[in-house]
Amino acid sequence: MEFEQTKRILAAFDRHRVDYVLVGAMAMAAQGVVRATRDIDVVVSAEARNVDRLKTALRELFDDPEIDNIRADELAGEYPAIQYVPPAGDFWIDIVARLGEAFRFADIESEDLVVDGVRVRVATPRMLYRMKKNTVRPQDRLDAQILAERFDLREE
Amino acid sequence: MPVRKFRSVADMPPPPPLLPLDPQNLKLACELSTTASRLRPLRFPAGVHKHHSLDEALRLRRSWGA
Repeated sequence: MEFEQTKRILAAFDRHRVDYVLVGAMAMAAQGVVRATRDIDVVVSAEARNVDRLKTALRELFDDPEIDNIRADELAGEYPAIQYVPPAGDFWIDIVARLGEAFRFADIESEDLVVDGVRVRVATPRMLYRMKKNTVRPQDRLDAQILAERFDLREE
Repeated sequence: MPVRKFRSVADMPPPPPLLPLDPQNLKLACELSTTASRLRPLRFPAGVHKHHSLDEALRLRRSWGA
């Protein structure tokens, strides 16, 4: 993920008022726990108008008819997780409307970060910890452990 | 900066933690990611991939070698 590309994506989300929160490795990085990643993970509101705004933002960035295949009814229903790989194929965007039954957009605590004038909505350390602590993925469990130590979240 | 000597790597202090929400953090992560991509370039199948769950998405991502 190149920095300028990442900023362009987040700036387009902000410009088009997409209801999203950055989670995953980029959110970990924003909170000071940096590692390499090949994707941007966002939790979005699956509300139809928001998904329209998301698609408008993506279309502004990528000349790709595939973007039309992102559908609000599917995000809200059968397919709550979408991976969008832009035409160049060198990274992807994870677009998630809910994680199991535990977390939806409205449940995600976030805080703002401003990077070169771009407002970025980032999940809080406590939220990232809650999202990661009970998953089966080893990287998530490691992230949860680091967050617990760094932000004194052990009791949660 | 003075030379500091340690009997073991385990005795060496970790680097100071990065400040949360420092705007430089994202840049650092992206630079690290760009370096990782150059060391091990991968291409992923372009398009929209839909999943019933995050676990399903994770399985696809593993199949890409990522």
